Amino acid sequence: MKGNKRVLALALSAVLTLTGLAGCGQSDKSAGSTAGASGGGAKSRAQDTIIYAQGADPRGLDPALVDDGESGKVIVNIYEGLLKYSKDSTQIEPSLAEKWDISDDGLTYTFYLRKGVKFQDGTDFNAEAVKINIDRQLPPKVTEDMVYAGFVFGSVKDVEVVDDLTVKINLTAPSTPFLNNLAMCMGAPMISPKALEENGNNVNEHPVGTGPYTFVSWTKGQNIVLKRNDNYWGEKAVTTNVIFKFIPDNSARVVALNNGEADIIDGIDATVVQQIEGSGNKIYKAQGMNINYLAYNTTKAPFNDVKVRTAISQAINVPELVQSLYQGYAEPATSVLPTFIPGYDASIAQVAFDQAAAKAALAGAGVSKLHIITYTNPRPYNTANGQALAEAIQGYLKNVGVTATIDAFDWTTYKEKVKAGDYDICFYGWIGDNGDPDNFMNLMADKDPRMNVARYDNAAYKELIAKGLTIPNGDERNKVYTDLEKMAAKEAVWLPISHATTLVGYRSNVKDFNYHTTGVIFLSEASKD
Amino acid sequence: MKLKDLKADVEENSLQQALPLEKPESRLKEMWEALRENNAAVVGLCIILFLILVAILAPLIMPYDPNLSDMSKSFLKPGPDHWFGTDQLGRDILSRIISGARISLTVGLSAVVISLTIGVVLGSIAGYFGGKADIIIMRFMDMMLAIPSILLAIAFMAALGKGIDKAVIAIGLVSIPEYARIVRGSILSVKENDYVQAARVIGNKNSRIIFKHILPNVLSSIVVRATLGISTAVLDTAALGFLGLGVQPPVAEWGDMLGRARGFIFTAPYTLIFPGLAITITVLAFNLLGDGLRDALDPKSRKN
Amino acid sequence: MLKYIVKRILMLIPVLLGVSVIVFLIMRVFSPDPAPIVLGQHATAETVEKWREANGLNSPIYIQYFDFIKGAVTGDFGTSYYTKTPVMKEIMSRFPATIELAIAAIILASIIGILIGAISAVKKNSIFDNSGMILALIGVSMPIFWLGILLIILFSGILHILPSGSRIDPLLQPYGGTGFYMIDTLVSGDMEAFVDAVKHLVLPALALGMYSMAIITRMTRSSMLDTLNQDYIRTARAKGIKDGRVITHHALRNAMIPVTTVIGLQLGSLLGGAVLTETVFSWPGIGHYTVECILKSDFPVVQGIVLLIACIFVLINLVVDIFYAFLDPRIKFSKKEA
Repeated sequence: MKGNKRVLALALSAVLTLTGLAGCGQSDKSAGSTAGASGGGAKSRAQDTIIYAQGADPRGLDPALVDDGESGKVIVNIYEGLLKYSKDSTQIEPSLAEKWDISDDGLTYTFYLRKGVKFQDGTDFNAEAVKINIDRQLPPKVTEDMVYAGFVFGSVKDVEVVDDLTVKINLTAPSTPFLNNLAMCMGAPMISPKALEENGNNVNEHPVGTGPYTFVSWTKGQNIVLKRNDNYWGEKAVTTNVIFKFIPDNSARVVALNNGEADIIDGIDATVVQQIEGSGNKIYKAQGMNINYLAYNTTKAPFNDVKVRTAISQAINVPELVQSLYQGYAEPATSVLPTFIPGYDASIAQVAFDQAAAKAALAGAGVSKLHIITYTNPRPYNTANGQALAEAIQGYLKNVGVTATIDAFDWTTYKEKVKAGDYDICFYGWIGDNGDPDNFMNLMADKDPRMNVARYDNAAYKELIAKGLTIPNGDERNKVYTDLEKMAAKEAVWLPISHATTLVGYRSNVKDFNYHTTGVIFLSEASKD
Repeated sequence: MKLKDLKADVEENSLQQALPLEKPESRLKEMWEALRENNAAVVGLCIILFLILVAILAPLIMPYDPNLSDMSKSFLKPGPDHWFGTDQLGRDILSRIISGARISLTVGLSAVVISLTIGVVLGSIAGYFGGKADIIIMRFMDMMLAIPSILLAIAFMAALGKGIDKAVIAIGLVSIPEYARIVRGSILSVKENDYVQAARVIGNKNSRIIFKHILPNVLSSIVVRATLGISTAVLDTAALGFLGLGVQPPVAEWGDMLGRARGFIFTAPYTLIFPGLAITITVLAFNLLGDGLRDALDPKSRKN
Repeated sequence: MLKYIVKRILMLIPVLLGVSVIVFLIMRVFSPDPAPIVLGQHATAETVEKWREANGLNSPIYIQYFDFIKGAVTGDFGTSYYTKTPVMKEIMSRFPATIELAIAAIILASIIGILIGAISAVKKNSIFDNSGMILALIGVSMPIFWLGILLIILFSGILHILPSGSRIDPLLQPYGGTGFYMIDTLVSGDMEAFVDAVKHLVLPALALGMYSMAIITRMTRSSMLDTLNQDYIRTARAKGIKDGRVITHHALRNAMIPVTTVIGLQLGSLLGGAVLTETVFSWPGIGHYTVECILKSDFPVVQGIVLLIACIFVLINLVVDIFYAFLDPRIKFSKKEA
C-alpha cells in the first residue's frame, strides 16, 4: 500500500507540473514574439543577432575535412583564404594575399601576403602559416578524408617560405584553375597553426581563422553561434552575433521565418514564395553553380548512336519538367555551364522538344524498352531527388512509345551501380567547386566512369580539354569551353536539365547579406533595422 | 504466477488466461458468433472487406494510371476530374491511393505471415521443450526486443535496399519476437494439461502433439495477435515509406506519398490529407476487428 | 531482492553482446560502403581503398568486431566517419533532447490517459466513455508522423500559437548544464526561456505520446472496471462511503498496478517512436540522427546508439519489474525466474 501512495503522489505532481506548463503556455500568445518583444535587454540582443536557418548541421568546421554546403556557409564567415571571389561572380580578388606573380612556365606562383593579419586566437598570419596549411594537405601528411586536398592542391609540388610575408608555391604542371582553387571555401581557407596543433590536426569543432566572425559554440542538431571578431584586419562585421540554426524540414523552415524564429532561410521552393511574401517577408534568388543532367550510356546500344540520343532528348519537355518538378527552385538548363561562368555563351542550345519527331525516330530505330538507374536522395542540384526526376522522365518516354524501367538506389549504392555501367540512362549532377569552366566540362572527358557517367570517349573533345588547362584566363581560353559546349550539345551526350537556384527567404528588416553563387553566405555586412 | 508471464498477460489484456479445452472448430464458431454481436468488429470487418475488394479490383476502378507522370498536370486541386487532386508529378492521387491499398494490404499480410510462421515455430519449440532450447531462443528474442523495431527495420532496409519484398522481410523479421513470446506463453499454460499429458503417454510424436493438440488450442490468441499485427505492419510500412525507405519507384505506397508530400504541407495540403486518412482507416479497421476478436475470446466479457 | 537485481543487471551483458552482434552484422556485412559518402565527389578508387584500410574495414569481420568490443568495454566507441568527432560526444550532445521529449510524452500520456480511462470506467457506456474509447482507438491507428504534420499545420501554420519545430529559441538557449532544457532553464531562473522551451515541447510530446495515451486510457479503463467489480469495492460502497472516495481511494489505487507496468513498457517503445517524431519536428535528438547515420553508413555511431538504446530498454524493463513487485505484494520473485 505504501507503493500505491507513491504512485498517486507521482501522478499528482505530474498533474501539477502539467497544469503549470499549460498556464505558462497561455501567458504568451505569440510564439514569434518571444525574441523581439520581451524586455529591453533581450530586445537589443535580438536586434544585434542574425539567425540564419539551414537544413542540416555542418559536417564540420575544418575546411580541409568537409565537403558540404552547410559547412561552407559557416566556414566563410570564420576563415579566409589567400584569394577570394568577387561579390557576384567567380572572378578572383586579393584577400589574405595582396598580390601574386605567376612564372612564365606557369609552374611557380609567388604570393605577397597582407601585413598585420592575426588569427582569432591572437597568433600571426604569415608565410609559415600558409606553408603549414598547404603542407598538411600534401603527401606525405595528407589523409584520405581530406576530401578536397587532391582537388585544390593536387597540382602542387611544394611550398617555400621566402620571407615572413612572401610564399612561393611550385606546381608539377601548369594549371590555370589553380588560382580559382585558392578562393574556395573547402581546402583553401587558412587555419591557425596553433589551433591545428592543439586539436590534433582536426579543428572540426574548434575553428580558428582570420575572418570577420569568431566561433563561440556549436550545439549539435541545433545551432552554431558566432561572435564579431573585433580584431578583424578589414571592415569589421556590422552585426555582433550570428546564429546558424538547423531545421531539416523545408516547410518548418518557412514557418520559422514567418514566425520570426529565423531572419534568413535557404533551401525553399517556389511553392512557398507566396506564403513568405504574404507574411511580409522577402525573397532573394541566387544563381547556383551546378548542373543537373540526364546522361546516356554512350558505350552501348542503343545510345552509342547519336540519333537515338537526340530522339530521346527531343521527347522531353525540359522547361515544363523543370517548372513542375522544381517549382522555380531551378532554371531550365540550356548549357552545361551555369551562365555566370566564363565560357558560357548565349548561342549554345540543346536539342529542342519535338515529340512527333522523337516518336518517329525511336520507332525507326526500334527502341521500345530502356533501363534507367537513379538515386533516391535529394541532391543540392536536384532537390526533388533522382527518383522523382526519373519518374517524370518515364512519363515523357511513355508518350513516345518507350517503356522505361527504373531502379533507384541510395547514393552510395548508386555510385557503385554507375561504376558497373549496367544502364541505358542515368541521372547525375555536379556542384561546381572553383568556378572554373574546366571543372564542369572535364566531366565528359574524365577517365573515371563515376565522374564521366555518360562514358563519353571522344579524342577531339579530350584534346580541347587539355588545351584549356594551359591557356591563361581570358577570351582565348573561354572560347575553348564554348566550343566544348557546342560539341557536347551536338553529340547529345547529356540532356542538361537544370541549374538549381537558391531561393533565400528573409525578413524585411534584414539587409546587405551576400548570398554568393558558390552557395555560401557572407554575413559580415548584414544587419537588421 | 511468473512475473514475465504476468506482464505479457497485462500487455495482452488477459488474452491467454487458461483457455478451456474445446474442439478448435467449435471455438472458432463460437468466436464468430460472439464477433457478430460486436458492432465495432463488424464495422472493422466491413472496412477490411471493402479494402480487399478495392485492392483486387484496383486495375478496373482506378480512374488513371497511378504511376504515369504528366508534368503538365502537376498539383491540380481536388475537383471533378481528380477527386483527390494530383501530386507533384501530375499523377492522380485517388488512383495512387487505390493502388496503394494493394501494397499496404500485401505487405501487411505477408509480413505477418512471415513473423507468424517463424514466431510460432520458435515459440512452440521454446515453450514445449523448455530447457536449453527455451533459453537460447528466448534470449535471442530478448535481444531483438531490446532494439526498437522501427530502428531495426530501418537498418534492414538500408542494408537490403528498397522494394516491397524487402519491406515485407524487414517488417516480418522485426515482429517475430512478439509472436514467439505469445505462443510460448500459451503453450506453457496448456502443456501440463491432462489432455496433452495423455497424448504424450499414448506415445504421440512431439511434432504431432504440438500441431495436433497444442496449437489448435492457442490458435485463437494467435489469430487476435495476427489481426492486430497486420495493423502494426501497415503502420511500419508507412513509416518506412515516409522516411524514404519503402518501395521502388514509381510504386504508389501511402507512407511514401506522405513523405514526398511533406514539403508541400502549406501549398498542397490535399496531397497529405488523403494518404494519411487511408493509412489511419486501414489500421483502424484491423484494430477494430482485432479488439472484437479479443473480446469475443475473453471468457470474462463473454459472460456479460 | 538485491540478489535478484544484481542478477538481472548481470543478464544485461549477454543481451548487449547479442545486440552488438546483430547490429554489427547488419551494418558491416550488409550495409552500403560508407567511403563514397565520407570522401565526397572527388574520391578516387585509390583514396577509397586507403580510407577503408585506415578505418579497419578491410580486416576480417571477427577482427573488426573484436576491436569494437575492446573499445566499447572501455567506453570508447570510436569516432564518427562523417564528422570525425568521438561517437560518445555526438551521442551525448543529442541524447538529453530525446529523453526530455520521451519523458514529456509519457507524462502527458499518463495524465490524460489515466484521467480519461478512469472517468470512462466510472461512467461506463456514457457518451464520455464511448467518445473516449473511439478517440483512443483513433489514437492507436494514426501514424505518428501524420499526426505530427496535422498538429504543425493547425497550431503553427494556421493558428501561429506554437512553434513548428526545434527545441528553443537560440537566443534563449541555456549553455552548459544538463542538456535538459526544462531543468537548465529553471535552475538558471530564466522563466522566459523555460516557457519557450515548454512551448517547443508541447506539439512533439503530444504527437509522440498519442499512441501511449490511447493504450493507457484503455488499460486504465479495463483495469478500473475490474476493480470496481471486486467485492471489497462493493462492500465499501455498501458501507456508504462516498462514491468519489471509493473511486480515488480504492478503485483507482488498485487499478494503477497494471497501468504502471504499461506506462513503463510504453516508455521503452517511445524511444522507437522518437525516430519519426524527431524527423517531423526537427527535434535535435538521437532518433532522427540515428536514421541519418544509418543512411550514411556511419557504422561507429549506429553501433554506439543502438547499444545505448538497448541498454536503456533493458534497464527500463528491470525497473518496471521491480516497481511492479514492489507495488503488488502478491508477486514474489520466484527463483525460477530468469
